[in-house]
Amino acid sequence: MTEIKLVLKKEPEFPLEADVISPDQFTGKTLADIKKLIVYYGNEEKTLGEFFDISGKSGELTDLKIIIEGNLSNVKRIGEKMSAGEIEINGNVGMHVGNRMTGGKMLVNGNADDWAGAMLNGGELEITGDAGHYVGAAYRGFWKGMQNGIIKVHGKVGDEALTWVNGSKPANRFPTLICGSAGSFLGIHGHGGTIIVEGNCNRCVGADQVRGTIVVKGKVSRILPSYKKLGEVKEIELMNGEKINGKFVEYSGDHSVEKNHSKIDKKTGIISNSSNGRLFIAA
Amino acid sequence: MEVDVDTKENKVVEVRNGCQIGTKKYFASNPSNHRYEKPLIKEKGSFKEVSWDEALDKAADILVKAKRPLLYGFSSTECEAQGKGVELAEVLGAILDNTASVCHGPSLLAIQDVGAPTSTLGEYKNRADLVVFWGCNPVHAHPRHLGRYSEFVRGYFRKDGRNDRYIIVVDPRNTHTAQIADLFIQVNPSEDYELLNAIRAILRGTEVDGKEVSGVPMKNIIELVNKLKTCKFGVIFFGMGLTQSLAHHRNIDAAICLVRELNDYTKFLLTPMRGHYNVAGANQVFAWQTGYSYSIDFSRGYPRYNPGEFSSVDVLIRNEIDASLIVASDPASNFPAAAVKNMFKHPLISIEPHHTPTSVNADVILPPAIAGIECEGTAYRMDSVPLRLRKVKDAPGECLTDNEILERLIEVVKKKKGE
Amino acid sequence: MVVNNLILITCRTIDQGVALEGGKVSRENVRAAAICAFDREDFKKLDCLVGTPVKVITDYGEVLVYSTISEEGPHPGIIFIPMGPWANQVVNPDSQSCGTPTYKGMKATVEVVPNGKVLNAVELIKTLIEG
Repeated sequence: MTEIKLVLKKEPEFPLEADVISPDQFTGKTLADIKKLIVYYGNEEKTLGEFFDISGKSGELTDLKIIIEGNLSNVKRIGEKMSAGEIEINGNVGMHVGNRMTGGKMLVNGNADDWAGAMLNGGELEITGDAGHYVGAAYRGFWKGMQNGIIKVHGKVGDEALTWVNGSKPANRFPTLICGSAGSFLGIHGHGGTIIVEGNCNRCVGADQVRGTIVVKGKVSRILPSYKKLGEVKEIELMNGEKINGKFVEYSGDHSVEKNHSKIDKKTGIISNSSNGRLFIAA
Repeated sequence: MEVDVDTKENKVVEVRNGCQIGTKKYFASNPSNHRYEKPLIKEKGSFKEVSWDEALDKAADILVKAKRPLLYGFSSTECEAQGKGVELAEVLGAILDNTASVCHGPSLLAIQDVGAPTSTLGEYKNRADLVVFWGCNPVHAHPRHLGRYSEFVRGYFRKDGRNDRYIIVVDPRNTHTAQIADLFIQVNPSEDYELLNAIRAILRGTEVDGKEVSGVPMKNIIELVNKLKTCKFGVIFFGMGLTQSLAHHRNIDAAICLVRELNDYTKFLLTPMRGHYNVAGANQVFAWQTGYSYSIDFSRGYPRYNPGEFSSVDVLIRNEIDASLIVASDPASNFPAAAVKNMFKHPLISIEPHHTPTSVNADVILPPAIAGIECEGTAYRMDSVPLRLRKVKDAPGECLTDNEILERLIEVVKKKKGE
Repeated sequence: MVVNNLILITCRTIDQGVALEGGKVSRENVRAAAICAFDREDFKKLDCLVGTPVKVITDYGEVLVYSTISEEGPHPGIIFIPMGPWANQVVNPDSQSCGTPTYKGMKATVEVVPNGKVLNAVELIKTLIEG
C-alpha cells in the first residue's frame, strides 16, 4: 500500500469543502499536484496545501491509502464518490464523509457529522465514535438513497438513518447499517435495507418501510401502531442470507404504507394486508 | 368584502373590512417615531443619518468582504424584490434563505419526498364538507380564513355555509378554533406522527392494538377514520403544530400520505397555513431561479440546497456566518437565542421599515417602502395563487422600494467586485 | 412556588400578531408576547395572582414573563408562550438537521418570581448581545 498523509495545519474557521480528498483524485498525481488541488473555503477557492501538510507517495488507485490527522469537524465531503483504495481519518470529521462511495474502505477514528455515507453505493464506511443525522440517507428529493455497501457506527447514529434505502435480493444489493444505538425514524421509507442496532433505538423505527429487515437488540422507545406482532423467533435470516441467533419478537410492517396493500383479492374483495418489511426486537 | 382604505395627506386614516392584523399593518405604515425614513449607519453606538449612496456603499463593503454572508428574510416583500435577492446571493456567493426555514420548510421537505395533493382555497370554499385543522389555530393566526374559505362561508356546493360543513380540530390545546369546531381531538404534544400512523393503518384495514394512541382513545380514532372516509370532499389545513414539533417534516410526510390514501375512498386534499404573507412567493421565486425554495448556498458558484446544512438558524448556531443582510423579516425576534447571539457578533444590514429588535441592533439600515401599501408587486397566497398587491399611498421620507434598494446594492457590489 | 414536569408550546396569538405589526419594541408587544399561559388548574399550583412574573426554565435557557390563565384549556401539564424573543430564550434551537428549530414540546419548570423584572424586547436582545 502506498500512503499519503495529510495533517491539518489549523482548524478552519469556516466550513472547508474537501471533496478532492479521495484515492480517485490523488492517484497518478505528484505531491506537488495534490497540494494544488482546489478546496472551497466559504465563498473562496483555496488549495489543499494551504490547509494540510502533505507527505508520502501516491500510487495505484486500489493500492492507495490516505491518512488524515487533526480535528476535521469543520471539513466536509472527504471521500466523496471514492471507488477504491482506503481513507483513514484520525479525528472527528465534518458532514458528508464518504458520500456516494462506490467502493473501497473508509475508517473514521472519531465522530462523524451529518450525512455520513449518504447515497452509499458500495464499499465500507466505519465510524468508531458517533455519527450525526441522515447516516446513509438519500439526499433531499431522491427516492433511492443507499443502494449497496456497509456502514458500521460503533456509537450512536442520529435521526433518519438510511432514509429511502434501496436494496434488492435479485440484484445482489444488500445495503447494511450496523450501529451501537439509533435515534428516531430509523430506516424511514426503506425499500430493502438491512439494519442491525446493537443497543436501543428511539421512536418510529421502520416508518413507511415497504420491505427490509430491522433488528434491534436493545429496546425500542415506542413501536409504531402500524406494526403487527407475528410471534417469537429464535433465528433471523437477513436479506443476504446471513443468520442472527437469539430470541426476538417478530413484527411485520409498515402496514400504513399503500404499497403493501395494492392488491385487492378479486374473489374476496379484501385488501391484502401483508407486508414484506420486518422488525425484530430482542425478547 | 375587499379591504377599504381611506387616506388623507398621504396617511392612512381609516381601514374597513380588514382583520385585526391587516388593519394594524395599514396604520403602522404612517410616519411615526418607530418608522425609518432615512438611511442610517451606526457610528459609536448610535445611528447617524446618511445619504443613500453612503449607506449602500457601506452595506456593499460589508457584504463583499464577507467569506460567508447570509441573505435572509424576503417574506414580507413582493416577488420582484425576491428575484433581486437571488441575484445578489449569486453575485456574492452567499447563503440565501427565507422565513420558510423556521416555518413551513418541513412541509416543503415532505412535499419533495412524497408530493402534495392540493388545490386552491376557492375549491375548498365551494366543495369541502369536511375540514380538518391539524396543528394550526386560524382564529388567531389567519383571522379571515374561516370566514372566507373554510368554515363560515357559503360555497357553490355548500349553500348552507357552516351547516354544510363538519369541522375537526386536532391540537394539544382546546384552542379558540377547537372551541367552535364540531369535533376536537386532543393529541399529546409531539406525538402527532404516531396518531397519523395509526389512522393510516386503520384506513388500510389493519387492526391496531392498544386502547389509545398519542392520548387519543382508540374508538375515537376509528370514528375519525370513518368520518374521513365518508365525507364528499375533505381538506386538511396544517400549521406549526406539525412543522415545529419533533419529527418536523415527517409529521407532514405522514399527513400527505394519509390524504393521498384517502383518495381511494373520496376526494381529499391538504394545504399548509403559510405565515408571512409572501413566504409562498419567496419559495416560488427562489425555485424558478435556482431550482430550490429556501436554504440555498451559492458559495461554490452555483445553487445547492440542504436544510440543516444551509438553513439560517443552523449556520448561525455553528457561527459560520460573518455578515448578514436581513430583508423584510425580524430574526432577532423569531430565531432561538443561540442563533440571535451569533448573528449580532458580525455586521448586519437591515432592510426594514419599522424599529424591530433586529433593526435597532443593525450596523446599516436601509428604509424601504412597504410592499402592498406603498408600492405595487406580486404576492403568492398560501395556495400558491398569485395576487397583485396595490399601492394606496406614497412612502414617507426617503424610502425606496425593496426592489430599488436591492438593485442599487447589486450595482455597487458588482463594482466593488470589479465586474 | 415551583411547578415541574410541564411541557412548553410556543405559538401565535392574535394579540401577538397585531402587536408585531405595530412596533416590536413597544409595551404592547410585551403585554402580548412576554406572557406564559397556564391551564386553570395548573395555575392554582403557582399560588399567585394573575400577572405575577414567573421564570420559565428549560434545558435551553430561562426567561421571565408575566403569568396568565389560558383561555384555550383545559390542557393540564402544558404551558404556552406566544412566539417572540421571550419564547426564543427557552425553545430548543436544534432542528435535528431539518433546518427548523424545535419550537414546541420542551420540558419546562416554572418558578414564581414576585419581584422579577420582565424585560422589553430591546432590553432582552441586549442581554443576549452583551453575553
